[in-house]
Amino acid sequence: MASLERTATPSRFRYLVATVPALCGLLGALIANIPISLLGGLVPAPLLALVPVYFWCLVRPDLMTPAVALLIGMAEDILSGGPPGIWTLAFVLTYALVARQRDSFAGLAGLAAILGFATAVAFACAVAYFSVAAFAFLTPGASLPPVPPILGELAMTVLFYAPSTLVVGWVHHKLVGASRGDV
Amino acid sequence: MANAWRIARKNNLQLPLVIVVALAVVLVLLGRAQVGLFDRARAHATDLMAPLLVKVRGPVAGFDRWIGSIGEIFSVYEQNLKLKEENARLRQWRNVAIVLQGRVNRYQALLHAVPDPQMNRVLARVIGRASRPFLQTMILDAGRGNKVLPGQAVMDARGMIGRIYLTGQRTSWVILLTDLNSRIPVTIAPRNVQAMMTGDNTANPVVNLMSHTVTLHAGDQVTSSGDGGLLPAGLPIGTVLSDGAGGWRVALLADAAASQDVEILNFSKPPEAPPATAQLPAEAAGLKPQAPPPPQAATAPPPPAAAPPKPKPVAPAPAPAGAPAEDEDR
Repeated sequence: MASLERTATPSRFRYLVATVPALCGLLGALIANIPISLLGGLVPAPLLALVPVYFWCLVRPDLMTPAVALLIGMAEDILSGGPPGIWTLAFVLTYALVARQRDSFAGLAGLAAILGFATAVAFACAVAYFSVAAFAFLTPGASLPPVPPILGELAMTVLFYAPSTLVVGWVHHKLVGASRGDV
Repeated sequence: MANAWRIARKNNLQLPLVIVVALAVVLVLLGRAQVGLFDRARAHATDLMAPLLVKVRGPVAGFDRWIGSIGEIFSVYEQNLKLKEENARLRQWRNVAIVLQGRVNRYQALLHAVPDPQMNRVLARVIGRASRPFLQTMILDAGRGNKVLPGQAVMDARGMIGRIYLTGQRTSWVILLTDLNSRIPVTIAPRNVQAMMTGDNTANPVVNLMSHTVTLHAGDQVTSSGDGGLLPAGLPIGTVLSDGAGGWRVALLADAAASQDVEILNFSKPPEAPPATAQLPAEAAGLKPQAPPPPQAATAPPPPAAAPPKPKPVAPAPAPAGAPAEDEDR
């Protein structure tokens, strides 16, 4: 079966296929940051770009490299409009955490898998929050960012994990997984 | 699978994680030093997305209104009664305001008061909203092509919403008054208290008083003070309310979540230019200056008609013994 999958993707497409995780991450950043609020701004948009980073960091770390995580984080920064570099740092550090504990995260299934992803998102949100808070602390007259919005971001991202993982898993199965041995 | 992961870890073509983390840290610091680092990319991306946002604006706004009004269905009757009462009261105040405005106009004419600077207004539609943990913004469909510039005030029918902070060619981003990075100098009537209104990502920005000896009261009116010359003075912002912990906040008049059409105020005070030539105070007062005397360096000055007689030199008295001799020049 594995050999059939390898032959299913022509070799000339293998470099194209290798860009699929990065493209999925960029697409996630784009979709999450379309400035349209369906709920009157009550809840923040989820960090959809973190799902491909987390997923392919576990499944195909050779395709989701630290540089790709950096690129996706930069896209999130540009499109979200927040302080520059905050989400880039958060994504890269989260990537480092997941890559270090990959065997632990990859072995999770079901509800535990969601909890594993929630841990990664919580780490990313904590990095972003404390980075902004550190700059606010150093700026005279600036107030610390409130905690509820970042908790809302965490909750929304975890809420969207299951459907977005279905999409990412389908893309992986149809495009990336077939060329596993070639790239 | 495990073998594949190990093989991937040995890939030497990847940038090491440490270098990427260092790059990210550098990016954060660089973004802190160069605030406009990502702004051009953001403005360009928004310009590209503008046609899509305009197309989906209608259905999304309808859905948004429907969702937002669910909670108000059960209080429609009470709200209607309150609005009728408020409307009657406001009609009375409108008449008073018209009379007072006429009186102010007459006083200004009598005193030759300097008129308020004229403001151009650009009407723009809200085509996007973003509520992120560290940024609350809205996107308008007017940009540099409509002479919209960063710093200009954005108003809806009720009051000030925020300021433009990023402009593309066709779109612009508004930093809301509630945003963490928003700071507006305000005046609080009726005591003319000067304060700074600071957003903290909550619905009610914080009031930071310049003087700690003044006291505020709930319901005091908050308007822009115009300090710094970036915003016009007197823009309605909101009313003061207590935060329950000894501090004060502002209940904003404008509802940024519901605004669809907004005005961008192009307020630019013309710089005060110095006079072209140096003017004497007499010239400034409209008086003719005296003609300067003609040059007389070539001819000898005529003798004075009535020169005072020179006093005869008086012989000095003999100095007492021991006293110092006086200098001749004295």
